Amino acid sequence: MTIVETHQLARRFESKGNNVVALQSVDLKVNEGEVFGLLGPNGAGKTTLIRILSTLLLPTSDTATIAGYDVANQTEKIRPIINMASGAERAGYEFISARGNLWFFSQLYGISTEDFKQRVTALSSQLELDGYMDKKVYTLSTGYRQRMTIARAFINDPKVVFMDEPTIALDVMTARRIREFLANQAKEHKRTIFLATHNMAETEAICNRVAIIDKGKILVCESPDYLKRNYGVPAYVMEVTPPPTSLKVFTSMPGVKGVTSTQDEERNVARLKFVVEKEEALDSIMRTISSLKLKVLSSWRQEPTLEEVFVNLVGSGFAERETENAS
Amino acid sequence: MRLHKAIFAAAWMGWQREMEWTNPALSLFIKTVAPTAAVLGAAAVYWFGSSFAGLFTPDRLAYIVVGASLYAQVGAYAYVPTAAISEGKWSNLYPQVYITPTSSIPYLAGRCLASFADSAPVVAISLAVSYYASYALFGSPPTILLTVNSVLMTTAALVVSLPAALGLGYILGSYSIFVSRFEWALPSYVSGLLMIFSEALFPASILPYPLPLIAQALPFTYLMRASRAALIYDSWSTFTTSMGYLALGGLILLIIGIVAFNQAERSARDKGLIDKKVM
Amino acid sequence: MQANLNLWLRSAYSRAWVRVKSTYGEPVWLAVNLAVPLLSSLAMALLYQSTGLSKYTGFAIVGGIMLAFWGNVLWSMASQFNWDKEVGIFEIYLISPAPISALLVGMSLGGILATAPSAALVALIGWAFFSTSISPSWLAVFLTFILTLASLYAMGMLLSSLYLAYGREAESLNNAIGEPINFLSGIYFPSIGTGSPFPFALQIAASLIPLTIGMDALRKSVFYADGISAIWLNLLILAAMSAILLFLGDKALKVLENRGRREGTLVVRLR
Repeated sequence: MTIVETHQLARRFESKGNNVVALQSVDLKVNEGEVFGLLGPNGAGKTTLIRILSTLLLPTSDTATIAGYDVANQTEKIRPIINMASGAERAGYEFISARGNLWFFSQLYGISTEDFKQRVTALSSQLELDGYMDKKVYTLSTGYRQRMTIARAFINDPKVVFMDEPTIALDVMTARRIREFLANQAKEHKRTIFLATHNMAETEAICNRVAIIDKGKILVCESPDYLKRNYGVPAYVMEVTPPPTSLKVFTSMPGVKGVTSTQDEERNVARLKFVVEKEEALDSIMRTISSLKLKVLSSWRQEPTLEEVFVNLVGSGFAERETENAS
Repeated sequence: MRLHKAIFAAAWMGWQREMEWTNPALSLFIKTVAPTAAVLGAAAVYWFGSSFAGLFTPDRLAYIVVGASLYAQVGAYAYVPTAAISEGKWSNLYPQVYITPTSSIPYLAGRCLASFADSAPVVAISLAVSYYASYALFGSPPTILLTVNSVLMTTAALVVSLPAALGLGYILGSYSIFVSRFEWALPSYVSGLLMIFSEALFPASILPYPLPLIAQALPFTYLMRASRAALIYDSWSTFTTSMGYLALGGLILLIIGIVAFNQAERSARDKGLIDKKVM
Repeated sequence: MQANLNLWLRSAYSRAWVRVKSTYGEPVWLAVNLAVPLLSSLAMALLYQSTGLSKYTGFAIVGGIMLAFWGNVLWSMASQFNWDKEVGIFEIYLISPAPISALLVGMSLGGILATAPSAALVALIGWAFFSTSISPSWLAVFLTFILTLASLYAMGMLLSSLYLAYGREAESLNNAIGEPINFLSGIYFPSIGTGSPFPFALQIAASLIPLTIGMDALRKSVFYADGISAIWLNLLILAAMSAILLFLGDKALKVLENRGRREGTLVVRLR
């Protein structure tokens, strides 16, 4: 059953003569019990879409509905059945315990104290918060604050939960624990989890479907495996020294869909990842590397990831796209 | 060379911060209207209390107007190191400054200088506006002498008070290094106690013994006395004596402040508090 | 209807609980809240004493008591939503079904309870130092106090709505209006009626501030035994102000929320 639906959704921001199109022609249908990923670089429109769906922002044109209710005009029907959590958020009152904060937020949904006790016991156990529940929030580390934030997002037994980069700035173990929790909530309780992220691994780990978004447009929306099979293209990784001063010479080569680069300054090495249309493009790449007098330290072929899917669709990686957006 | 560059850079940054260029109108309003309202409030209390007893005198009104105008500004820039450390912890600027070759003492001195440069003209505006407002409200202007000499003398008193304000700022800053909440608590108390003990609104002699001795020990008391000698009583001897005490007291307070601040930073570094995140 | 009332009451109660628990759970809050009203009122009382007329020191003490609440209105009511917005709590309020008006009322009630100890200490310490004599008409004092608080906190609710529109300048706005309002409202001296230094036009303008009307009535009922029959007009004005400011605050919040949703300015967060 479809629970979140958008039809040609658009949002523009106007300020002092500047017009920014944050979303355009967004068509989505998300089902009950689905973990739905929204993947894209910073500035792609992920947060804008979540803000519209969570009733914080009005669309400029066309519609979005949650459980059949219009986000623009029927907020009183939507708000009892949704909730939201963001990464790196400090949403809690510092001088109150975690339990006190969760109780407070539960009251904003009219939940009885008995129901609250049952829910908080279950959530605390699932998120491994036992032992921290009665500590004041200002004493909690980032990881436990975020667990408390996640617990808060489920305290009202919501049908749809919007997660905006919930595991950003968290250590690997905490991030994994939260992902397991989210997947379990969708599977066991049929909750729809709407997950905005630019973390590829997170998307591949738990999302049933992923919508790739760039410059406000949904480029494609399918399961991660489908995307990799049909849009993933071969990628070749080479470690070269010294790092090239510019990647333009590679991006303009025929057969090369896109190039991303990460640098290890200590070793004076660049790791170049080439996403190519055909394997034949490799010859041109090697000739160019030779003409630039770069030394190849190692090279290997890489299985497609969602980043290659993005590069294939857009022509640049997340980091490069974010740099373009900033300039 | 490096030291004066650090102070200058900090003063420049402090100036940007103090003037709040994003909203200069609001900034100007806060810096002039708010302190002037406080001065007029104190003047109104005096006028009301003394009029009914037939004891109102323009000299005494001038005493209060001058003291209240100066008090507001000294309080403002003594608080700057606390504010700078507090916001610096929040923004991670303070640890960055701490690890530079000149470290935090010149930085805080520069920030104080900026606040001083920003506040000093406001004293003049407060005095001028309060003078005319008092005339309009109470039917009698405070007997403030506005001559080139009196203005220069008051300016000199403000400049000589800077070490005292800076010293107090360093002492208060030492406290704020250790706390990540309620940094403004101690400065609020100190600011309030200064209002009572520095002869801002009334002579220390009205306090029960031995409290007037506290006033005698504070350099800020001599700022008040020197300024009043210049602006009200036209007394060169009182002015010079008070300036001597102000300079000496200011120097002692500055030394104490620097020593206390250095100790505090050493201890904070030992406990890992310099870059403790403010949540 | 029952469900809506239940939600409203739970939201208000829980918000008041958060405020009270935060304050009483950290005793240093009490000391922090005490500083400005206590020392300021002591300074003004000493100033009265130095004028030769000690009988008005009580005006300074009563002023200090109300300054405690007024400070709470400015710093913990008016700018609270801005702080909530900066840390991400405000958007949680908005996406929940809880009425914002319930949260504001909860904040007010919690603020009053949290400030009461500081105000009481100002009264105790002030009276201990100055032994001012009072001649209260207790029923009038009680009604004046309640209605003054109601109108002050209703003003705080309106300010919190307006501050949402100004965003990060809220702290500056508090600094801008605090002292002028203290002066105009005559927190330490009569700014309206007998003994006021203000011209008539300025007294009228000052009377638009709830604190002015409240301070006037408090002084009359505490020091001059003026009963309800003497200050009924003050009480009526305070009641009317409370109702009007509550209404305006609620309306302003709705307008600002809708505008914020249209323009995308509801959520600004420090990351």
